[in-house]
Amino acid sequence: MTIVMGFRMYVRDRSSLFWGMAFPLILMGLIGLAFGRSESLTFRVAFVNPDNPLGVALREGLGQVPVFTMSDVPTEAEAVELLRKGQRILVIIVPPFGSTDPLRVFYDQARDQESRTALVILERFVAEANLRIAGVDPAVRIEATGVAGAQETRFFDFLLPGILAMTVMQTGLQGVTWVVTGYRERLILKRVLATPVRPFVFLTGLVARYAVTNIVQLGVIVLIGVAVFHARIVGSLGMLAAVALFGALAFVGIGFAVSTWSKTPESANLLGSVISFPMLFLAGTLWPREFMPAFMQPVISLLPLTPLVEAMRGIATRGDTVMPYLAGLAYLGLWGGVTFALAAWRFKWE
Amino acid sequence: MDNAIVSVTDLYKRYGPVVAVDRVSFSVARGEIFGILGPNGAGKTTTLETLEGLRRPDGGQAIVDGIDVRRDPRGVRARIGVQLQEAGFFERLTVTETLELFGSFHPAPLPVATAISRLQLEEKRHARVETLSGGQRQRLSVATALISDPPLIFLDEPTTGLDPQARRNLWEVIAGFRAEGRTVILTTHYMEEAQRLCDRVAIMDHGRIAAMDAPRELIRRYTPGTTVALNVLEGGAAYGTLPGVQRSETINGEVVMSTTDPVQTVDALMELARAGQMHFQQLRVEEATLEDVFLELTGHRLRE
Repeated sequence: MTIVMGFRMYVRDRSSLFWGMAFPLILMGLIGLAFGRSESLTFRVAFVNPDNPLGVALREGLGQVPVFTMSDVPTEAEAVELLRKGQRILVIIVPPFGSTDPLRVFYDQARDQESRTALVILERFVAEANLRIAGVDPAVRIEATGVAGAQETRFFDFLLPGILAMTVMQTGLQGVTWVVTGYRERLILKRVLATPVRPFVFLTGLVARYAVTNIVQLGVIVLIGVAVFHARIVGSLGMLAAVALFGALAFVGIGFAVSTWSKTPESANLLGSVISFPMLFLAGTLWPREFMPAFMQPVISLLPLTPLVEAMRGIATRGDTVMPYLAGLAYLGLWGGVTFALAAWRFKWE
Repeated sequence: MDNAIVSVTDLYKRYGPVVAVDRVSFSVARGEIFGILGPNGAGKTTTLETLEGLRRPDGGQAIVDGIDVRRDPRGVRARIGVQLQEAGFFERLTVTETLELFGSFHPAPLPVATAISRLQLEEKRHARVETLSGGQRQRLSVATALISDPPLIFLDEPTTGLDPQARRNLWEVIAGFRAEGRTVILTTHYMEEAQRLCDRVAIMDHGRIAAMDAPRELIRRYTPGTTVALNVLEGGAAYGTLPGVQRSETINGEVVMSTTDPVQTVDALMELARAGQMHFQQLRVEEATLEDVFLELTGHRLRE
């Protein structure tokens, strides 16, 4: 009954709906806008050819290079301007007809790595063209065979499990802290205490309610993530849900512990944020943890969110089983267990 | 008391240096409405919450429906219905859902519809708790005390903050509990409420029970007089010697007499007026109230 009523209250609480579902999705969309460009590898190249037939042939050949997105620009000045604005990565200038000048290429120094990669591709293309024009069969050839090792991970595939882990954490640190301190402040917990129900049973009901709502939330985020952002989940959904549920229980424990340190919902929420936001940015939730400097890595390994993110991402993007992550999850479980015990010891009804 | 449902002996509770309940003893008979009357901070709520098993007493004993509160507070809570002062609700549940939820906490709850109709909440059955008025919330609060179908109901200031009409409605409901054979223990700082509703009243001040009896008995014992007051315009008399008058004093220009025989006293005053010995107006005759009892016992008024 506690679970059913809890769920009804949850559905009727617009702010928890927002924080639980809309916020993660909005965040996912925004991060997608910011970083999602690197998702497919293409180089935008401006091509300037006054009147040279050789240029026409080159242009045709380059148009067939899959990673180049070619566009024709009438003058050198305009092309370089596009480069300066960051709208092109390379500018190729074909010399006038009859000239023996080389092809001139400008590249974007601001995006050094990308433009060097594009230059290498262009050089290889030109070398091939020279060989063909000279009518020489290349002595050394490459036969490249794609081996589907790890499946290619696109940005949203990477992001989705991180967002899910974040949602699990937020439920514990924002939702539980807010609700429990609110119930206490408004003496609702005292009202429950005045009935013969065992406090343990009521609190378990409350925890179960969070577990249920969490799974529903994650389900909605996965659905929208897949439908709108075309994220893919390779591994077992059941396994992912099980790990999320486990994480939810652990973070609800942490949330309960936080709520015993705060008198008002506002201060509990603030304390929850102080704990959750650094974790959110450090633990590899929204971008790989390797982006963080080396000296931070040991700290990151200690955060309870890190093993959850790693396990969920492993299952979702690589199709791993839960086995390689058991140690990390056990560590998270330890956090949950210790904080639950602490919360039970410190818990006050009014 | 043979048929006592509650018996309290030397109950003692302190918060740090403050003694909230100072060796209080009383018992409540099955089927009566027992009131604890006193100002804020008198120890009423603490006494009640100790009996409800919500607070551990520091001394003394409290037996509720045969169970020692200290030994088995949960056992006590299974036999009682509790309405807490100022406790909140889950705002986003409806009235029906709230009662279903609280009913689920008890082994054999009343049907929700019964509790709703008893508290006249039919119209608000499907309204969210957050939309209820103060009086409706208070009725819902009493309904959550009733939902467990308990033999004993505790009501902590059930009518505080209600308008007179809502207060009278709730009195009827509470009197209805007694008619069903339930026992009610309530706290109040409205002496009118205690006088109208309670079979017996304990007057509490500074953690102690100053007096305890039926309201009428308390008035008879502690303020054995009726007050006769008048504005004297001319002349006067030796008021203390008039028939029935125990004592007299002048308060704000008004002569106030305390009398055991108001008819004789007023008759004597009228006689003096007809004889032209005095001229007065605004003659008032007032029965004593629990307020006077309280003033007599504690030296201060109930609400100051």
